Amino acid sequence: MVRLGTSAPLYSHGLIAYERRVVEKMEEQVEMVGKAFVDHYYHLFDNNRAALVSLYQPTSTLTFEGQQILGVDKISNKLNNLPFDQCRHVISTIDSQPSSSTGGILVFVSGCLQLQGEEHHLRFSQVYLLLHAHGFLCIYIKKPYHKLCI
Amino acid sequence: MDPESVARAFVLHYYTTFDANRAGLANLYQDGSMLTFEGQKIQGSQNIVAKLTNLPFQQCQHSISTVDFQPSGPAGGMLVFVSGNLQLAGEQHALKFSQMFHLMPTAQGNFYVLNDIFRLNYA
Repeated sequence: MVRLGTSAPLYSHGLIAYERRVVEKMEEQVEMVGKAFVDHYYHLFDNNRAALVSLYQPTSTLTFEGQQILGVDKISNKLNNLPFDQCRHVISTIDSQPSSSTGGILVFVSGCLQLQGEEHHLRFSQVYLLLHAHGFLCIYIKKPYHKLCI
Repeated sequence: MDPESVARAFVLHYYTTFDANRAGLANLYQDGSMLTFEGQKIQGSQNIVAKLTNLPFQQCQHSISTVDFQPSGPAGGMLVFVSGNLQLAGEQHALKFSQMFHLMPTAQGNFYVLNDIFRLNYA
């Protein structure tokens, strides 16, 4: 992470341009993290759903179609017991923003969910709040939503 | 107020203001607020309100289908996830949308929007 800490006003155009480039770089990083997470999450979901448990913590909350589920075990239980075996997520949009109050990243995903044997796709939207742990490249999902939009 | 009441009160206030007088949204955002509107990133209350008041329609009406909410951590914030329909004046079909707000408490005991992400849902 980069911090610009100065109380002196930024008179020089050069300094302002530098700050703008730093902000752009930070935005790029947030987007990269968001996209990497989304690729990883849905790859796991579609190929090895049981492994999703590694992305949640005891303090994680999942709201799934209005049902609120707390903690790794219950979330894992919910996801592993959905009424379909095979599925495929096709992602249309990924929007990411830094959440300054939590130090985390908000990720908003929309796309389609294809279930095996079903002719029509289901549209869905999902929101995640990702939190870093100990400065390592581990991303824990804090508060995902999963809302099917039909 | 319990989190559900806060979330529902905010959603009602936000979309009522949006539909009646978009400029009135200004005090729901601050300098550090961020909006991503259909992929376009905008920062700060002034820029956000400028974007919303310059959207290519005069009149609109939001009707909300679902509101989900979760507290976002020790700072007292709340995530609110909305889905619904957006009817534009003169258009035959309503647009479907989803929107996510990350609300933070103000010193006065209200909430402002720190993060805002809006997407239309296409079939």
